[in-house]
Amino acid sequence: MTNTDRIQELFNSELVVLNIGPRLFGDALGKQNVEVVQVDWRPLAGGDKQMQDLLADLGI
Amino acid sequence: MELFTILQKNTYVDSLASLFTMSVLMDSAGIESAYAGMATASNRQTMEELGLADDTVRSAGENDFVVAVRADSREAFEAAMAKTKKDERTNSIGKTSFVTIDDAVRENPRANICSIAVPGEYACEVTKQALNKGLHCIVFSSNVPLEQEREMKELAREKGLLCMGPDCGVANINGVAFVLSSINNRGPFGICGASGCGIQHVAAFLHEAGSGVSQTIGTGGNDLKEQVGGISMMMGIDALENDPDTDYIIVISRKPADSVLQTLLVRISQCKKPVVACLMGVDRSLVEATGALWANDLDGCAQQALSLIGKEIAFDSDETLTQMARQAVEGMSPQQKYVRGIYCGGTYCDEVMQTMQPVIGGIHSNCPLSPELRLEDSRVSVGNTVVDSGEEEFTRGRPHPTLEPTMRLPLIAKEGEDPETAVILLDFILTPPEHIDPAGVTLPVLTKAMEAARARGGKIAVVCSVLGTDADLQNADAQRQKLRDAGVYVCRSNRQAGQLAAKIIQMKKERDGR
Repeated sequence: MTNTDRIQELFNSELVVLNIGPRLFGDALGKQNVEVVQVDWRPLAGGDKQMQDLLADLGI
Repeated sequence: MELFTILQKNTYVDSLASLFTMSVLMDSAGIESAYAGMATASNRQTMEELGLADDTVRSAGENDFVVAVRADSREAFEAAMAKTKKDERTNSIGKTSFVTIDDAVRENPRANICSIAVPGEYACEVTKQALNKGLHCIVFSSNVPLEQEREMKELAREKGLLCMGPDCGVANINGVAFVLSSINNRGPFGICGASGCGIQHVAAFLHEAGSGVSQTIGTGGNDLKEQVGGISMMMGIDALENDPDTDYIIVISRKPADSVLQTLLVRISQCKKPVVACLMGVDRSLVEATGALWANDLDGCAQQALSLIGKEIAFDSDETLTQMARQAVEGMSPQQKYVRGIYCGGTYCDEVMQTMQPVIGGIHSNCPLSPELRLEDSRVSVGNTVVDSGEEEFTRGRPHPTLEPTMRLPLIAKEGEDPETAVILLDFILTPPEHIDPAGVTLPVLTKAMEAARARGGKIAVVCSVLGTDADLQNADAQRQKLRDAGVYVCRSNRQAGQLAAKIIQMKKERDGR
């Protein structure tokens, strides 16, 4: 059995949610009076695979 | 046709908001094609392929938002753009937003969970970043390779954090409905499931019976596959067993892989709390040998759970459904023969075909129960047909029909015009983000279909179910009443909607002596 202490801690806490992606989902949480932090995520280097590989090679 | 483009420098619009914009544009008069999105390299490439790129698009950078529309005239383009402005959604999140998880967590150290909806190819990387920041994760992203799913879940297990998904649309944590979940009362039942629709279905019945859920943990549909090994399911059961607010545990899944099934059955047999197990397609004897209550389907699962607290669901009896079918058939013309289902939910689409097929025979579909029943064209029905309008051929460039039910209206209208349609069969699934009135937005098309059938000397029966609760922002009861007032048969569940539709078709066939 896994140690579930951190999950129990979550169940006993007030939620503060990072919404990563479409705001619509964060808005829906906001309407339920939940504290939401929005992350307007976009792919690194605009989704350019070659550039991403280059950045990864550079440790970025 | 002329190409019009708009460039908004340094403006971020997320992918779903872009889809809504695109959807409005494509539905506007005089518009041939449209694209809206951030001018990333891949989006610019798509616009080139669609013939929607000009120098403005080509010169745009990845931080710019672009709209390109091929329209009849400037007037048509401007009218369509005006409609997108009208449809812009209000934003209840604060204006402050972050670009990276690191920054967001640094500024908000109390953050404890995150909801992730990024393209599948990036989901693993983003989820691992969040787990490494100590956040529990709900991952809505789909199309994540199974080996990446395993990687994410192994990291979560190592850290003792929940990783719900990928492909998890339903989770209700501490009474908060995430992504596409309904809003539920809290109560003694903890649900851990690999089917979002299944979790939502059972939770809605618990809510309606005056009970509720402690937590609902969605694992994502692939969790119980061999390659993933049921990591989230096992952790979910562990967590619910240790949760003092959970008295009973409900486990929902389609048939797990054999090796995972063995582990799951052992885990259930060791559980210290009563378990209801709805493992579709698994032998009843195997489930009952664990000491769990066995459920054959989602309705049965809700029923078994409620039996633990001495309650019962008042499903419509066979006699009642027969009576309803008899009334529905009255006034139909001999030409009317078939049921035409247009579904939002994949699980429900499957369930309704499973329910009807033994009674009325093979059902054609874009997601058929057997390959020979696959529709050649998903937009052209053959005999008895049920389509899943959430499949890719319908959602390309549009939001999912659960969020944007207007996308299935043309499909419903088409079935209404077909003189062979006897029953239009639908599901309505309520979710907090959108749509705020799925019944209201669908009714004009349904009313028109019913009127057209009458004008042809027949009568169309519209049969549906509504999944949701009275705590949902749309209020499931109000949605049901609105449909009933318009003459729609609103059933207790999707399975019962299938039973009624099948009875109507069968009775009609007998009446016509076919």
